[in-house]
Amino acid sequence: MVRKRKDRSASEPAAATAVVMVLYITDSGPNSLRAVANLEAICKEHLQDNFRLEIIDVLEYPLRALADGIVVTPSLAKLSPSPAATVVGNLSDRSGVLRALGIAE
Amino acid sequence: MDLALPRSNPALSGTNAERGFKKAILRLVKGGPERLAIEAGQIDAIIDPVSGNAILLPEAQRALIERKVGFRSLIGLAFDWYWEQDERYRFVSHRGAADDADGSTEEGIIGKALWDLSIDNMSEADWRTHRQQLEWRVIFRDLEIRRADRAGEVRYLSISGEPIFDDRNQFKGYRGITRDITERKHAEALVGPHRLARTILDALAAPIAILDQDGVVLSANQAWRAFAATHSGIGTGVVAGSDYLAACDNACAAEQADGTAIAAGIRQVIGGERALFRYDYACDSAAGRSWFALSVTRITGNGNASAVLSCEDITERKRGELLLGLEFTVARCLADAGTAAAALQAVIRAICETQGWDCGRYFRLDQSAGVLRFAESWGVPSAVVGQFLEKSRGMVFRPGAGLAGRVCQSGQPLWVLGSTRGAGVSPTALAPETGENGACVFPVTAEDKVIGVLAFSSSDVGEPDDRMLQAVHSIGSQLGRFLLRQQTVDALRRSEARFRVLNDLTSDWYWEQDSDFRFTQVVGCSAFGAADILGMTHWDLPNVVPADGGWSEHKSQLAARWSFCDFEFATVQPGGTHAYYSICGEPVYDEAGAFTGYCGTGVDITKRKRAEIALRESEARLRALAGPSSD
Repeated sequence: MVRKRKDRSASEPAAATAVVMVLYITDSGPNSLRAVANLEAICKEHLQDNFRLEIIDVLEYPLRALADGIVVTPSLAKLSPSPAATVVGNLSDRSGVLRALGIAE
Repeated sequence: MDLALPRSNPALSGTNAERGFKKAILRLVKGGPERLAIEAGQIDAIIDPVSGNAILLPEAQRALIERKVGFRSLIGLAFDWYWEQDERYRFVSHRGAADDADGSTEEGIIGKALWDLSIDNMSEADWRTHRQQLEWRVIFRDLEIRRADRAGEVRYLSISGEPIFDDRNQFKGYRGITRDITERKHAEALVGPHRLARTILDALAAPIAILDQDGVVLSANQAWRAFAATHSGIGTGVVAGSDYLAACDNACAAEQADGTAIAAGIRQVIGGERALFRYDYACDSAAGRSWFALSVTRITGNGNASAVLSCEDITERKRGELLLGLEFTVARCLADAGTAAAALQAVIRAICETQGWDCGRYFRLDQSAGVLRFAESWGVPSAVVGQFLEKSRGMVFRPGAGLAGRVCQSGQPLWVLGSTRGAGVSPTALAPETGENGACVFPVTAEDKVIGVLAFSSSDVGEPDDRMLQAVHSIGSQLGRFLLRQQTVDALRRSEARFRVLNDLTSDWYWEQDSDFRFTQVVGCSAFGAADILGMTHWDLPNVVPADGGWSEHKSQLAARWSFCDFEFATVQPGGTHAYYSICGEPVYDEAGAFTGYCGTGVDITKRKRAEIALRESEARLRALAGPSSD
């Protein structure tokens, strides 16, 4: 079983503005792959390197998702800055994701 | 990354079972957004709040299964068996697509360590090394073993493995893969010698080709291919698949004789009539004429291959032989020639014929005038060449002017090749009239001095090599010595001629005697026939009467080896009259100083002598008449 985990942070993170996120996925499920791709595109366009992302495969760490209150995958949890927000689905709703991340279009 | 969306909404297109499953899932999910996402087909799994396990939705489940199947398929391409061993290195699992192929089935191998199996290529030392690797828990790769399969056929296997540790880092055994490399090993064993043979064949400098029984080239090395591509004549364009015998049979013009001989030799070798055939022949290329020694040897017991052809480049040796032959020819011409002119013509002709040049000319250095003057020439029968040589008559070169003048001045040979001829060549230079492309001019030397220049003109003048320059130097020296000697001989002849003329003016004949004073040679003597005088001393001759003093005085002079002059004697003629002669002579000595005889000249003084006698008789008569009156 492959453990898939990504951590990214800005080379010079600004603690006040860095966006901290966790993306819960299911191995190589089609929606999970789509969600990863959509989120990568949004981060590249709007956050550059000013974010920290952790990707959790629920097949590998199911209890972690349960502990974090995640019910379905893929789900994106924005932890900071406040307010916290969660987006479910493959993140193809770009506007919804940007709103959740607090990014003005 | 651009991932495709699911092709269809599973909520709409799934089977009844899937739809039922999805309804059950929706009951588990309370949140609105989650339910909407499930309805939209954007969810792969839900987390069971009771067990904490992820429950895959049908679409994701299919994707994962397909991916695993694909992965296994790919893995299957990389190895033939997957195996696991316990902490004592005994096989606990051994699976693969070819389980039945080599007897490595679960039954045959499970519970045994690798060294418990019948493997015949591993020594005790090899096993010790392998077990040490395992004890050190290292990853091992490509351990090659050889064992017989169920059918008794030898199989070669390559094994790689890595250690397994549990969560507490406790060693649990090894797992790894095995690949069947039998075919590869067989291929290596089969191809190896052939590849080596091909590599060696291509590395050889000599062109080599292998013929079948019909004379078709089965294989040719790199040198042969280059040879076939760059030389004209026999073998041009003959590569693998070409009929070499046909090429020989169809050779025409200058190569016809060579082609016929080579084809006959090859057929004899292929037919088993001879084991080896050798033949030397020439080929032309852009670099000039080359000579090759062709060797044909027979092959037996090797499929279609019947003969091996190899060509050795013997150009250097051949050119050396030709130039050596030329030097001998020049020496023979000089030995046979009676005159300098004949020698020059013969030498020029020999050089032209050997080198394939059109014509040559000799310019003699006129020491008194300090210029080169045309002396002799020879050329092939051609109107153009004849015209060129005719124009050369009367040509004069000052030292340093034109090729001949430059060679005379420097004492070094000069070569004009093709387009380079124009540079530095004066209007009086050699060969412009014929339109030839090349010229070769070299000095003729004697006693380290240039006494003349030989100039050759032809389109075939090529770059001289060291051997050619050596030959040119040798020929120039030989010819120079000959011409100098010939000049000396001519001077001596002229001197002798002048002496003879003077001698003829002062004497009537010439004579020689041996150490016993017997005549050995008499030239121009009218007093005696040669048969009457040769072998006899002067005093033994019949009817010879010495003048004053008799023979005793003359003999004492000869015994003392003195020169004598005007020794007079008379011969009694058939009518009783006398003829008078006067001879002069001097002793002759050889190089060691030993006396070898006398030589001298003779003069007929009969008229003078008779006049003296008549005068004396007249005086006597007058004295007789005047005597009584005076008394």
